[in-house]
Amino acid sequence: MNSLADFVMVSAMLFGIGVYGLITKRNALRLLFAVELMINAANLNFVAFEQYLPPAPGAQAALGQTFVLFSIALAAAEAAVILAIIVVAYRLHQDVDVSELKTMEG
Amino acid sequence: MIDFVSVAILLLSANSLLLPLLQIPKQRNPRLPGYVLAGVLAAVVVLIGLSTEYPGTIAWFGTLLSEDILGAVFAMVTVGITLAVTVASFDWQKGPNAPVYYSLLSFTALGMLLLSYSSDLLMLFVSWELMSLPTYVLAGFDKKLRSNEAAVKYAVIGAMSSAIILYAISLAYGLTGSTQISAVVQGFYQLLATQSSSSVLASLAILLFIAGFGFKMSIVPFHMWIPDAYEGAPTTVSALLAAATKKAGFVAAIRVVLAITTVYVLTKSPLFTTADVLAALALLTMTVGNISALTQKSMTRLLAYSSIAQAGYILIGFVAYANSPGSTAATIGMTGAVLHVINHAILTGVAFLAAALVLMQLRRADLGAYNGLGRRMPITALTLSIALLALAGVPPLSGFWSKLLLFLSVANGPFLWLAVAGILNSALSLGYYGWVVKRMYFDDPESPEKVPEPFWFVLVFAVMVGLIIGIGLFPQQAINFASGAVPNIAG
Repeated sequence: MNSLADFVMVSAMLFGIGVYGLITKRNALRLLFAVELMINAANLNFVAFEQYLPPAPGAQAALGQTFVLFSIALAAAEAAVILAIIVVAYRLHQDVDVSELKTMEG
Repeated sequence: MIDFVSVAILLLSANSLLLPLLQIPKQRNPRLPGYVLAGVLAAVVVLIGLSTEYPGTIAWFGTLLSEDILGAVFAMVTVGITLAVTVASFDWQKGPNAPVYYSLLSFTALGMLLLSYSSDLLMLFVSWELMSLPTYVLAGFDKKLRSNEAAVKYAVIGAMSSAIILYAISLAYGLTGSTQISAVVQGFYQLLATQSSSSVLASLAILLFIAGFGFKMSIVPFHMWIPDAYEGAPTTVSALLAAATKKAGFVAAIRVVLAITTVYVLTKSPLFTTADVLAALALLTMTVGNISALTQKSMTRLLAYSSIAQAGYILIGFVAYANSPGSTAATIGMTGAVLHVINHAILTGVAFLAAALVLMQLRRADLGAYNGLGRRMPITALTLSIALLALAGVPPLSGFWSKLLLFLSVANGPFLWLAVAGILNSALSLGYYGWVVKRMYFDDPESPEKVPEPFWFVLVFAVMVGLIIGIGLFPQQAINFASGAVPNIAG
């Protein structure tokens, strides 16, 4: 079972699980996990396409892998920033439940 | 020949990295980091204005960036707004954290500058993140409950939108084998010309792009984070979010979505046309934004909803373009859209900065604080009134001309209903804009004493009001400026 369709299917499932997690979960850390799943779904897509499809004429070699390296680094930076914000939220609320965050209405 | 834009990029990068080191012990001048950033941003705006060779390439970046007028217009607008926010922040942020604050502003400006010139999806994504990550921190910069709440909501939604964009890019890469935007457009064209089964994936990629950019552009139904984030964040940062990073979302959408749209109309995709989707989003965005704004009690929240409604007007130009690229209507529509982006950046920026000044001096953001403001803070009240009336589209202020172009562009064709909806919405919006003006000039203040208005705020107000009235009185120059960017869209 090593065809391109398998990889794309797994990646679509990962993306779907991420979206599901974002919609149903209320714990800020779980939301972060869900976003990471979505990012990794895209990463899997990039590597699989790079492996199985011919590159477009004039495109750089190993473009998909390069893109994944950038996206992993950016995802790490994003996780660091969001975790820092969540730590502040925990200090203020003693909780990381986002449904508790409702001081502003309207 | 010196490449001015690379100098600007280098200057801004160095400034972003070095500014946090400016923590001199026993600082003589607490405003020094702000002055440095303001100087650098002013230099960057001048450098962008100096480069006149279009289309050009930017040294060191190869095919990642392309220097065109569209990029130059958006880079000038976004960096210019960051400059205004910086100058207005002189009195707001001057504690020990000021160097970090200004460094984050600088990184955001760099991200927006690179995003404006991006011609490759890789560069687009990296600069999108470079623009977004500092603003998550800026939104939570006050160590208060509300600021942190705004930051949590903004950061999680922002990360989700980045993930959606990344997935859309991965699909586009898989379908075309390239991340160069022009090559992607070409690839989509060939794909759809052969009518293979991949056209479903291509449609999905376009929808995901619209959704991902839509979160930043504050398009309904992707707007739910906007009011909370703008209200909770420090108000100068809200000005940056509403006036600058949102515009960067628009340039990304123009570069990617509209470029791909060109192909769609040519091949008559059976699934949907992008114009239909954009028209539905435009109608929803205008109406939901304006109706929600009517009942708000807080000024920043009102401005947040007004900013959502304005995004709907800009989308009308996108609809005109997506409906028939290359036609006169498309040119008028995109000129209107670019001009409205410029106007909206100035107007929303100055309105949020006025709200920031009121919040700083009176410690209140509810509309009651604005009663009789015309007598207590005359300059702020006058500025805010002009900005709000221009946002409503009252002639001869700047907002009128861009709205006129936008509504004209769809007046002949299947989307006439959108122009009618836009005009009705403008009338509706006068309800809440006029309400605030009425409060400022005809209601009695709670306490009669005058409130001081700091010099730097007044300077920003004066320049911005000059631009609003200038564009309003001499629309031809502004329209020429904006229409220069239109031919770059097709990619």
